[in-house]
Amino acid sequence: MEEQNYPDGEADALWLAGMFRELPPVPVTPALQARVLASFDAVTERRRTGLRGLLRRLGETVWPGAPAWQPAAVLAASLAIGIAAGTFVPVEQALADGAEQPGVVALDALPNFDLGENS
Amino acid sequence: MIDPDTDLVARAGQGDRTAAQALMARHLPKMLTLARRMLGDAAEAEDAVQETFLKLWTHASRWQPGKAKFETWLYRVTMNKCYDRLRRRSTAKLDEAAEVADPALPADRVLENAGVAAEIEKALADLPERQRAAILLCHHQECGNIEAAEILGISVEALESLLARGRRTLRARLGHLKNE
Repeated sequence: MEEQNYPDGEADALWLAGMFRELPPVPVTPALQARVLASFDAVTERRRTGLRGLLRRLGETVWPGAPAWQPAAVLAASLAIGIAAGTFVPVEQALADGAEQPGVVALDALPNFDLGENS
Repeated sequence: MIDPDTDLVARAGQGDRTAAQALMARHLPKMLTLARRMLGDAAEAEDAVQETFLKLWTHASRWQPGKAKFETWLYRVTMNKCYDRLRRRSTAKLDEAAEVADPALPADRVLENAGVAAEIEKALADLPERQRAAILLCHHQECGNIEAAEILGISVEALESLLARGRRTLRARLGHLKNE
């Protein structure tokens, strides 16, 4: 190693690079690979079965492909609208404006509607 | 520059085992080498690397590309796991610590002990841990100075200072090997 031609730092770096080439490679054992992959499987399984995983899957069912905040935001908005309507619309008005109308039928009178028999 | 690992990390975060295997094949050897040289012990290095990957799997689904290069983050986690272990060692009794640092003890190092490699490893192990980390990242793992500084959480100037002192110490210690 011809360190005389280099400034100190560079010469040291070159010399060190040569030294490190002497070190044997560190082998990755199959056991370590198996342990690392097993930890991946454990984390994936935990994520799938945990509360967060269940919520994610529910969101995916309701709104496939959307990020989790979208179904959550729609649910929150619909809840807010419902609560606001329930709080601010007066009960009488809500009942009066309803579509439910009492039907009055005189049982002894002839029906005054035509079902097409006379046409 | 596009991080080549971004896609693999995202897929691993979604539970894709093939992506996890690809990440492992790409990074495990380098992380293991770094941990092994930092800790000087094969079993501890494997444990540190396994913990690093466990952290990766746990955080993969929340990985945000663009914040940091994935490999830099992985090196930083590995390094922190090594520091944790070194700190635990330093709190143990001095004679026990000496036994752990003795390169002659682990069975898988029997072949290394006789040669130059054992001497280099011993010299590395005797360096202060920050100098050792800087030397390993820049000269063994071939990280650039900026990346190595980011991994260690220090300025580039501080890294260069660590490198200079580490090189000087190693050269003084191993200088006789150059003629062998």
